[in-house]
Amino acid sequence: MLRLLVSRVLAAIPLMLMVATLVFFLAQLNPVDPAATIMGDDADLESLAEKRAELGIDRPLVVQYWDWLNSAVVGDLGTNWFNGEEITTELRDRIPVTLSMVFGSLIVALAIGSAFGVLAALKAGRWPDRTITVASSLGLAVPNFWIGLVLAYYVGVKLQWLPAIWPTTRPDSLATWVEALILPCVALGISASAAIARQARSSMIGVLQRDYVRTALAKGLPVRRVVSRHAIRNAAIPVVTLAGFQTSALIGGSIFVEFVFNVPGLGRFGVDAILRQNMPALLGFVMVTAAVVVVVNIVLDLSYAWLNPKVRPE
Amino acid sequence: MSDALAGLGGSADAGELASPAPMPQESAAGATRSRFWARLRRNKVAMAGAVYLVLVVIAAIFAPLLTSHDETFATRFQDILFSPGEAGYVLGTDHVGRDILTRIFFGARYALIAGAEAVLVALVIGVPFGLAIGYFRGWADRIAMRFVEIVVAVPAVVMAMAIITGLGTGLTNAMLAIGLVFSMIITRLVRAEVFAAREEFYVDGARAAGASDRRVMWRHILPNVAPPLIVQTTLLFAQAVLAEAALSFLGIGADASQASWGRMLRDAELSIDRTIWPAIPPGIAIFLTVVAFNVFGDGLRDAFAREARGGRVGVGDVVPKERSAAAAPPWPSGSDDPLLSLRGLDIVFPKPGEGTDMTVVRDVNLDIGRGEVMALVGESGSGKTITGLSLMGLVPDPGQASAESIVLDGRELVGMDFNELRWIRGREIGIIFQEPSAALNPAYTVGRQVAEPLRVHLGMSKREARERAIELFAEVGIPDPHKRIDAFPHQFSGGMAQRVMIAMALSCEPKLLIADEPTTALDVTVQGQMLDLVGDLARSRGVSVLLITHDLGVVADLADRVAVMYAGEIVETGRLTDVFATPRHPYTEGLIAAIPRNEPRSGDLPTIPGVVPPPWEWPDRCHFADRCPYEAIECRRGPVELRQLGASLTRCERSHELELRGVQHASVVAIAGWEQPSDEPGSGGVMPGLPPGEGGPA
Repeated sequence: MLRLLVSRVLAAIPLMLMVATLVFFLAQLNPVDPAATIMGDDADLESLAEKRAELGIDRPLVVQYWDWLNSAVVGDLGTNWFNGEEITTELRDRIPVTLSMVFGSLIVALAIGSAFGVLAALKAGRWPDRTITVASSLGLAVPNFWIGLVLAYYVGVKLQWLPAIWPTTRPDSLATWVEALILPCVALGISASAAIARQARSSMIGVLQRDYVRTALAKGLPVRRVVSRHAIRNAAIPVVTLAGFQTSALIGGSIFVEFVFNVPGLGRFGVDAILRQNMPALLGFVMVTAAVVVVVNIVLDLSYAWLNPKVRPE
Repeated sequence: MSDALAGLGGSADAGELASPAPMPQESAAGATRSRFWARLRRNKVAMAGAVYLVLVVIAAIFAPLLTSHDETFATRFQDILFSPGEAGYVLGTDHVGRDILTRIFFGARYALIAGAEAVLVALVIGVPFGLAIGYFRGWADRIAMRFVEIVVAVPAVVMAMAIITGLGTGLTNAMLAIGLVFSMIITRLVRAEVFAAREEFYVDGARAAGASDRRVMWRHILPNVAPPLIVQTTLLFAQAVLAEAALSFLGIGADASQASWGRMLRDAELSIDRTIWPAIPPGIAIFLTVVAFNVFGDGLRDAFAREARGGRVGVGDVVPKERSAAAAPPWPSGSDDPLLSLRGLDIVFPKPGEGTDMTVVRDVNLDIGRGEVMALVGESGSGKTITGLSLMGLVPDPGQASAESIVLDGRELVGMDFNELRWIRGREIGIIFQEPSAALNPAYTVGRQVAEPLRVHLGMSKREARERAIELFAEVGIPDPHKRIDAFPHQFSGGMAQRVMIAMALSCEPKLLIADEPTTALDVTVQGQMLDLVGDLARSRGVSVLLITHDLGVVADLADRVAVMYAGEIVETGRLTDVFATPRHPYTEGLIAAIPRNEPRSGDLPTIPGVVPPPWEWPDRCHFADRCPYEAIECRRGPVELRQLGASLTRCERSHELELRGVQHASVVAIAGWEQPSDEPGSGGVMPGLPPGEGGPA
């Protein structure tokens, strides 16, 4: 298991490097001059050149890239072009907010989705299955930012049950933190729950038709044991795969939900970076999200090995 | 597997436990296509989605005609927000006085165009790319998959945002970015499907036949890739519509002059302190459109996938049946005190695609004496496997089994429910299946799987069960049982896995062992060993065996008595020696003639032309008449009853006048029977183990 872990971590390093390279050069395609964006339209050529030199973007791309990479390796993602803050510091404040939203949604979605998916499979074709199937295909289609708006308006503004937007001062207690997280998590987690429920249902249905389930029945095991021992573990493999994709989707989705609820997370940071061509910020944003996805995938790889002996290293 | 159903050719219900029988190529394509459309049309939800999408397309095309306002039209009263119905605005206006209904119609344009752009980009890049790397593999595949891995390591939206940073914001750029990200999904999908298709024999066959790479790709691989691709494209369209709305909502998609649904939501947020209303119609429009694409895509998938139904722990027990009025003559028992005595078994399945039932097993009687080996023989589709399963209450859903009685060692099994039958399954009746590697759970060690019934039925402790499992492994001839017990099923060869299955089936010392085609999936070289093992173990333990097989040859050395099944009925039964020496039914004669044996013969090897017809084509008269060389006018009169003739029972109108050819010494054929190549059930119109030919058995 340790060897598997080490090999996965080692494989992740070149992957991160490639992501950085790809994004760095992709973002350079834009002909707009960042200095002009920062200084405004009426800046004269001289001060623009000065700004470019200050930002270091007058140097050849390869040099910029090499420079950035060298600092990034030691955790320094550069300085924000617009406010002069360290990108690493800014991200450090925002990561916990986004991650608690993403993993809060994911865990709840896994619990709800798997439970309903397995239930639907065991009742295939009957009313619980139909209800769950319909609910999950509706859930998949709800735009999270729209349901966020609706929730913020009705639950937040009209009913005043929960905060409609993130508190402007830093939440001082766990309770306020959790309270502020509930609506964003609900908005974010609906589609993930629906997706997981669908996957759990279909893989469970698939597994229940396998020969080894028939063997288990032929041994005289009770249904409960056939389901919990012989079916669920095999049915979990595609669900775990999906959970990996969902983590990635949730991080993407958090951008929109943060926008609606005014959450000071990674998403807002990223959108600002794009709108203002803020290169160091954009790179920092992409690298952090990629790192989260990579770490989650390593964890999932390890859980595969537990679920499926075939992929266990000999 | 469930050979009673294999003849259905992959129909709905055969999907339960049976692997669908391959169909002849040409007829299959046409039938599959028409069934595809029939299934799709029957799917009301998918059709509703399709109708809605047509409406969206109409709205998009005729938006200017459907509305009296312009997409950017604002009332004279800037900053006045009309509620729905007010001042002639059906859905009201937004905060700058633009008609919401108008903008919804125009928004359909942006949604569809944006979706089409993204999907088109994804297909144009992904399909050729996926085909190429899937087909040529090697370094091109490795590099490409590395690249795909890099792109998908970042959330799709984030990657799209990075691309938008490079391209600049705006709707077209945004959808181009989304399309590029989606193309990775398409690439992966196409590549995976190509890999799967390559595994199929027909691709190798086409290559061997000298087809060019391009021809192989377009003619042989793409048609197989198409169904999942069509489904995925539909679903990606839904995702693209969502992405368009999302990016426009953030302000990096549609700009302020474009009435995109996402843009409308962004505008609605500006007046959210006054009312939520302007956010409702565009939100619902996005939601419904995405739902419509999703349900339509799901409908396509289900239609392609031959409606895999069911899924609950789908087995049924046998329910009691009234004795039929036209009572069959009493069944002469093989012994005075049989271990198992089955009377009047009927099994029905719903006819695929229709509400009506079809009978797949009709009025089967069976006696198995103590310590006796009973062979149940017949081609695929005859109903023998499902007959075996019914004895344990394992008839797969949605089948329905009923019987007058099943008495096992003095106990009536008919009417027992699932939990009462649990104490029969594994404890009184053990079973070995055809495909040992599929019958073992890949997630657990074989030791745990063999120990499981010991713990459940005999209450052994973990340690005791393990010790016993090791002993059992030794008894079934698995070398190194101490080590092998902790191995996983994928680490076993087919023959060794079947030994594990035998150990499992015999673990609780059952009285009856059902062996369902135990050698069919195995290498020819181990088939004989396996039968010897089953025979020896059964004899040494006094276990009765129900040996289910399509191959008369394999039973010759092992069985005491034989029951021959054809199309859901027992057509002949008797002592093995009698049946072999003087077959009383033309079908039995055909089966005997088809056994390869060591005797001089000229001409083609004999076969029985045709296949077992599917259950819904079984006539009311003799089921075999259409394939029978001795068919005469009296064979078409009506149902044929089993009748006594000599020492056997036979279901043939003409049996008394026919001189059927058998073999004098069953053992002559036995060895030959083992050495024939294994034959997949349902593989076509030939008798097991024989090359196709025209010759009849006469």
